[in-house]
Amino acid sequence: MSNQILDEELRDCFQELSNVAVGRAADLLARLLNTFVIMPIPVVNLLERAELSMALSSIEDAESVSAVCQGFTGSKIAGEALLIFNDASFTDMAELTHYTGEITKQIELELLMDISNILIGACLKGLAEQLDVRFSQGQPYLLGQHLNISELLKKNTTTWQRLLTIEIPYKLEGHQVNCDLLLLFTEDSLPVLRNKVSYLME
Amino acid sequence: MSLPLLVVDDSSFARKQVIKALPKGWDVEISQASHGQEALELISQGKGEVVLLDLTMPVMDGYGVLESIRARDLPAVVIVISGDIQPEAEARVKKLGALAFVKKPLNTENLLTVLNDFGLYSE
Repeated sequence: MSNQILDEELRDCFQELSNVAVGRAADLLARLLNTFVIMPIPVVNLLERAELSMALSSIEDAESVSAVCQGFTGSKIAGEALLIFNDASFTDMAELTHYTGEITKQIELELLMDISNILIGACLKGLAEQLDVRFSQGQPYLLGQHLNISELLKKNTTTWQRLLTIEIPYKLEGHQVNCDLLLLFTEDSLPVLRNKVSYLME
Repeated sequence: MSLPLLVVDDSSFARKQVIKALPKGWDVEISQASHGQEALELISQGKGEVVLLDLTMPVMDGYGVLESIRARDLPAVVIVISGDIQPEAEARVKKLGALAFVKKPLNTENLLTVLNDFGLYSE
C-alpha cells in the first residue's frame, strides 16, 4: 500500500481523537506529580522517514535528549511510541517525584521509564478505545541517553518509509519539564485507521 | 425566537459531534467558531447566548475566552466541553465563570443533563 494521502478531514479527526487520549494521559501525570499539565495540541502528519525530525519541532532545540521506545500492534494497526525527554527536565522531574539523591544516569532511566509507562500506556489506551480496537504493547526499551535529536533518530532502526506521526508536546506548569510523545503508525495501518474513523465521522 | 448557540472547537470533527449530540427539538440557531478570537467576535454580535466551548485551541484557548467574556461583561452562558479531564482544569474554568464542565468524548446523556440542570432545555 503506497501513496496514501492524509486529507484534511482525516487529519482533523486524528487530531481530535489524540486530543482526548492526551487528556487522559495528562490527568494521570498530573495526579502522579501533583502538578498541572499544560494540554498540548497534537500535531498530525504523514511523513517520509527522513523527515521525522520535522515532527519533533518542539524539542529539536534541546541540546541533549533521552528517549524510550515501545512498539504496539493490534487490529491490523502497527506502530511505535517514542517518548523523548529534554535532559534539562530531569532536575525538576526528580524534585516532583520527591527524589533528593544525586541524579545519576540510572535514576534518569528510571524516571524516563516511569513517565513513559504512564504517558504511552494511557495515550494508546485512549486512542484504542475511541477507535474500538485493541493494542498489545511490546516491552519498552531505552533508545538512548544524552544524545542530540539526529543521533537519537539514527538509533531508531525501523524500516518503514512513510509514517503517520502524531506529535504530542507535554509541558508542566511552573516547571522546566518538557517531553515529546511521538506516535508513529506504519503506512499500512492507514487504510485500517481510515476505516475505523469513518464510523465515527458518519 | 431561536436561541443563539455557539459551538467553539478547533476540530470540525469535534464540532460536528457536539452538534449531533444536541437535543433534537431544541430551538437554536447554531454558529461555529474554530478558535477563541472568532468565538468572541460572534459572541459580541449576539450569536452566542449559550456557548459550548473547547479549551485546547490555537490562537486563543478556552481560558482566554472565559477571561474576555468576564472582562468585557459579555452576555454569554458557557458550558465547557473538553478532553482536558484534570480536576484542576474543571476548577479553573468554573472559577472563570463557566457554568458546567462536560468531558470528551462527548456523551449525549451528559450534555442533556447539564442543559436540563441549568434550565437551558427541557423535554
